[in-house]
Amino acid sequence: MGKRVLIVDDAAFMRMLLKDIVTKAGYEVAGEASNGKEAIEKYKELNPDIVTMDITMPEMTGIEATKEIMKMDPNAKIIMCSAMGQQMMVVEAIQAGAKDFIVKPFQQSRVVEALSKVAK
Amino acid sequence: MAIDMSQYLGIFVEESKENIQSLNDSILELESNPESKNAIDEIFRLMHTLKGTSATMGFQRMSKLCHTLESKLDEVRSGKKRVDESLIDELLSGLDRLNEAIENIEKGGDDSPVEKDGKVIDNAQPVENPKSEAVIPDSVFDVAKNAIQNGFDVQQITIDLIKDATMKSARMYIVFKRIEEDGSQIIYSDPSVEDIEKENFDRRVKLVVITKRSLAEMRESISNVSEIENVSIEKFQMKKEEKKEVPTSKIEPEKSDTQIQNENEKRRAKLAKSVRVDVEKLDSLMNLMAELVISRSRIEETLKQYRIKEMDESLSQLSRITLDLQSTVMKIRMIPVSFVFERFPRTVRDLSKSMNKKVELIIEGEETELDRTVADEIGEPLTHLIRNAIDHGIESEEERINLGKPPVGTIKLSAHQEGDSVIIEVSDDGRGFDKDKILKKAIEKGIVQEYEAAKMTTEEILNITFLPGFSTNDVSTEVSGRGVGMDVVKNVVESLNGSVYLESVEKKGSKVTIRLPLTLSIIQVLLVEICKQIYAIPISVIDSTLSIKSEELKDLEGMKTAIVRNELVPLIDMREYFGGEIVSNSRAELVVAKYKGKKYGLIVDRLIRQQDIVIKALGKFFKDTREFSGGAILGNGSIALIIDVPSLVEKASQGSKTALTI
Repeated sequence: MGKRVLIVDDAAFMRMLLKDIVTKAGYEVAGEASNGKEAIEKYKELNPDIVTMDITMPEMTGIEATKEIMKMDPNAKIIMCSAMGQQMMVVEAIQAGAKDFIVKPFQQSRVVEALSKVAK
Repeated sequence: MAIDMSQYLGIFVEESKENIQSLNDSILELESNPESKNAIDEIFRLMHTLKGTSATMGFQRMSKLCHTLESKLDEVRSGKKRVDESLIDELLSGLDRLNEAIENIEKGGDDSPVEKDGKVIDNAQPVENPKSEAVIPDSVFDVAKNAIQNGFDVQQITIDLIKDATMKSARMYIVFKRIEEDGSQIIYSDPSVEDIEKENFDRRVKLVVITKRSLAEMRESISNVSEIENVSIEKFQMKKEEKKEVPTSKIEPEKSDTQIQNENEKRRAKLAKSVRVDVEKLDSLMNLMAELVISRSRIEETLKQYRIKEMDESLSQLSRITLDLQSTVMKIRMIPVSFVFERFPRTVRDLSKSMNKKVELIIEGEETELDRTVADEIGEPLTHLIRNAIDHGIESEEERINLGKPPVGTIKLSAHQEGDSVIIEVSDDGRGFDKDKILKKAIEKGIVQEYEAAKMTTEEILNITFLPGFSTNDVSTEVSGRGVGMDVVKNVVESLNGSVYLESVEKKGSKVTIRLPLTLSIIQVLLVEICKQIYAIPISVIDSTLSIKSEELKDLEGMKTAIVRNELVPLIDMREYFGGEIVSNSRAELVVAKYKGKKYGLIVDRLIRQQDIVIKALGKFFKDTREFSGGAILGNGSIALIIDVPSLVEKASQGSKTALTI
């Protein structure tokens, strides 16, 4: 059975795109969240194998959410979804425990590569 | 494996130039102190660096030459050879060829100039390690050795990111984190961590890591990061080829190694804190800055009309910020004058040697800063002055002894800042300028009439040397007294809005004082009104301003003149010159300007005020309009043309030849 992925992004379009890529690559979408707070709740609830985490979101940013999730589950596998020019934030997220990052605009192959490497 | 080396060419050239300059200094130090072990070590180290980097860049000829020179030094180190003049000469001439090669490379060529004189190369052995890429410092080997003794494994890891990797620095951050997560330690990184953080690298990163993980484990954890094309991991090779290359040398490795290491670190720390920027970018920054200053003044002037109190605070803050910004941008353009001065010890050495004179060069104030453009231009005139001082100023050793002077002559080159100017002085304790010889020559050349000669002051006589007709190539060294290329000096300095002043005491020496503006793009001008238009006259050319009664203007052979402080001054009526309407007034406003030691009066309608302006080029369309050196935008948005007094005088005197050249 495919690993279960939680998709976190405030833009519905992005979630849709990611859902598409993730499903096609043989993973199962465990759920979606549109901000950091929701992401934490869904993580608790769904206990996914992998999280794709947008950085800039309302209510709670992806970096804060990453920090919280890592506190709850040090083995959490989080992939940051970053826009160009957010290098400093990506580094901060990695310091917080994120395992990898992908850069928007997404290339399918890169997303799949990141997922498969983190899934190991 | 193919890395595109051309991207490193710029930094290679820059760094090699620095190394060549340091080599130059050290070789000269060795000459004055042949026993100096420090100097030899330093030369050896620098040569070694040059050898390695040039080989890496594929410049084998350079590398071979360095190798040969290095072996000579090695003979000295091992006591087989002594430091003597021929060795110093050989080192210096080798250095010259390295320099030529670098210059050629910079121009897009290769290192072929090295072979112009094959003498040194003939006995060159092939370089043993031409592939040596960025040389891993000895300290890394020491740490590695220690680690192995303590049961750790040392691995050399080469990581290639995929071609269009995004956020390479964050990517490498993940890699570093993966490597170091179980207590493994990265002890060496090429490019440096600073460069990686700044994304100052291509795709490949080489690391040396101390770890307890196996090669396979290490590979596994790194390959799990995305956007990595290739990871190769091998056991770190403990190699110290230097030892093999110079088997006879007995360097005290402990001491000199740590010294070198310290220096390397210092240098690296220095490098990490500075960024090389294209001068053109600075120019455009300066230009934008100027635009900002102008916009600010326009806003200020506009708002003044409405007296909005609420704006006062934010407006004064804006003023403060722009002022700070302006001075910061100006400072960025400044470089220490040592950039120019550092070539002169070599010049003095070579010249005094070839002229068989003993000369000591004293340099002071080399930390004084000046505009990059000014620094680029001023080197040549200074070389002229120093050449002159050695050639004509400093006497031969016997002569000096006979005169009761110290046998070694002194040339002093000093710089300091004075207000908005930088003052550079070149002085010597030689024989000074011979006034009689100058006059004789000037009369021969028809520059001065015999009857005038008698009443000329010392200053006036000395100023003759700056006239273009006086110093030509046919002036042979022994009769010329002094003055080779003095007009060149004056021209360059004046083109930089500076001035030159010459003092000389016969038999005691002479001093040339050059005053240069701190910056080129902002100048002080006097704003004047001519026929309802505003014009700017650079303060640097203005002698005085005065208002005289109209009846004091005299017509002399059809040309207006006036007596200014007991001196007959030809006048140029600017209103007439610009073809405007001349309003008769009871008084005339005069701006007295200096050009080639003579005074000219410009008649204007009104003096407005003194002001700092930012020079803007007029562009191609006005390139034939030589009376104006540029334009400036004033606070109210109007434009003032900047009058170029030299061209104006030249042009006006063409019209009425006799009158203006009184």
